[in-house]
Amino acid sequence: MNTRLHVGILSVTAVLCIAGLAFSQEPAAGQGKGQGKGQAQAKGKGGGRGGPVAPTGPTPRMPDGKPDLSGLWFRPYTPNMASGPAKDTRQGDPTGPKELPYTAAYKAKWDAYKPDDGDYTGACLPFGLMRSMNSPDPIQFMQHDNFMALLYEQNTWFKLIPIDGRPHAKNIDPTWFGDSVGHWEGDTLVVHTNNFNGKTRLDTAGHPHSDAMELTERFTRTDLGHMSYEVMVHDPKAFTEDWGNKRTFTLRTDTQIMEYSCEENNKSLWEGRIKVPKYDEQ
Amino acid sequence: MRVSLVLSLGFLAGAIPMLAHHSFSAEFDATKTVSLKGTVTKVEWMNPHIWVYMDVKDESGKVAKWQCEGGPPNTLTRNGWTRSALKQGDSITIDGTMAKDGSNTCNATRVSLPDGRRVFAGSSGGDNNLPPAAKQ
Repeated sequence: MNTRLHVGILSVTAVLCIAGLAFSQEPAAGQGKGQGKGQAQAKGKGGGRGGPVAPTGPTPRMPDGKPDLSGLWFRPYTPNMASGPAKDTRQGDPTGPKELPYTAAYKAKWDAYKPDDGDYTGACLPFGLMRSMNSPDPIQFMQHDNFMALLYEQNTWFKLIPIDGRPHAKNIDPTWFGDSVGHWEGDTLVVHTNNFNGKTRLDTAGHPHSDAMELTERFTRTDLGHMSYEVMVHDPKAFTEDWGNKRTFTLRTDTQIMEYSCEENNKSLWEGRIKVPKYDEQ
Repeated sequence: MRVSLVLSLGFLAGAIPMLAHHSFSAEFDATKTVSLKGTVTKVEWMNPHIWVYMDVKDESGKVAKWQCEGGPPNTLTRNGWTRSALKQGDSITIDGTMAKDGSNTCNATRVSLPDGRRVFAGSSGGDNNLPPAAKQ
């Protein structure tokens, strides 16, 4: 082990110890401690590689017995939804297909993509639903009887999802985050989203999709500190078959959601090192 | 120049810091790493990334002005940084990756602080995104 390696390990250890010092073992307000049955006794401790350990305990529940998904959730940053390497992005999702099953037309779009020519997120435009779910910043879930609010720290975006089983809205304009509706299947919240504007990409690697994309997300809070997340991508214009990813979200009680103003000091765009996207070329 | 500014060019397999804000390769060249030893002239503790400005002297005493991007304040705060972690006049070393446009601009991977600590300066939180050298 060389000196540089020693230094690297020590620096990581220092960072993780600092992060672990502030870890609280009790859920903070709004972390889904829940009411009624299943009220949690949080157990957990910080430290160790990977930082704070999620609290343990039973799944919190709403007064009507439905799982309460509220809380500040950290998720694995997923810059590449394929399991294989994608261009210059090294981290793939091991649960994804090795390569995304593109149609010929969208394989050509993917092969031609160069972020140097204008990654729309560099201009602080909305990431869109899938790329927001793949982002490294946490999401605050706030559950109501009929709605789930997702507050994305990334660029301080939000999404409001009816979870009372209502159908999709009709005759509305396509949007960056699409139109979402949810319903419960047992203890799993199933959210279906369509009506995307097609201007976004799935992940940081830049995998394209079409405006025909529909996402089905399944959220299952398996205990106090963990939530299973599955997403299936259906997009017959872009893909020859449906495919998906599966991950685990982790509850954090030692920190809170923070403001993130992407536009505040976006020097890279202002000084011309990154470019504004041209949608007619996508 | 050799002592204060060590510029190493070459392939670094997998050495791509992960930005929360946009694709890394839209702005930086992962094959061009840089180690900058200099004096902090200004710090912008703002979203979407902090920026550290520094004067870097070569062996002849000539000063070159550099600017380096770090992570977003949120991520850095959760990693133990504070707004006052770096101040004007501090002597620091930044290891990072150069911008594609050839300007004196870098993406900071690690920063050696005045008290000797070396800390992760990348743009995304969590163990998942620690720089490759630290993950070995």
